[in-house]
Amino acid sequence: MYANDVKMSWEEVIEGTRDFLSTEFEVDRSEIRPENSLKDTLDLDSLDYVDLVVLIEENLGIKLTGEDFREIVTFGDFYQLVRKKLAL
Amino acid sequence: MLITRESITDYIPHRAPFIMVDSLISATEARFETEFCIEADNLLVSNGYFQETGLIENIAQTCAASFGYLAKEQAGEAKIGFIGAIGKLEVFELPPVGATVQTIVIPLHQLGNIYLVKGESFLEGRILLGCEMKIVVTE
Repeated sequence: MYANDVKMSWEEVIEGTRDFLSTEFEVDRSEIRPENSLKDTLDLDSLDYVDLVVLIEENLGIKLTGEDFREIVTFGDFYQLVRKKLAL
Repeated sequence: MLITRESITDYIPHRAPFIMVDSLISATEARFETEFCIEADNLLVSNGYFQETGLIENIAQTCAASFGYLAKEQAGEAKIGFIGAIGKLEVFELPPVGATVQTIVIPLHQLGNIYLVKGESFLEGRILLGCEMKIVVTE
């Protein structure tokens, strides 16, 4: 179910995002914190970013581009981008 | 038919004996289709059957031919693509020598110069192999 389809709180979006990221990238959920590096924590290479885009579209219903990732360093940056795209 | 066997090398970087696609039937931003006849002297034929590796390479070359065709249509130069990763691979059947394989590729996502595509090859309507492939295209 997409975040845009139902009225989800921002906290629910963050917790849901932590859930699917920890499952798909096999990292401890506790490592997904706003101050941590998205790339390092999820151990992303350039090909993995495609998987990330697919996951975000499937789970949150928003489509990210390569441009969107230029400014993202931490999960906090990532959350802000998601919030902006979801207009929450 | 958009590209015949005689001119396919104008659109892909591969050369004999490693050409695993004959003709480009159609190519749009949303769907690519090729045909390939399996000949007895093909490098990837074993015991009379075209092997899984050949079907995978056929999907990759379907992407190469299609990206090359679309780039030239847009007055650009054909770009070179590389297989970055293969996932969700399923093999159902191998085609025998003499068969003509139909291959259909659907681009699913693009992130910069990386494309995620779904490729499937068919023989007389039966699926032979399917997979997802990440193709990295030179910029």
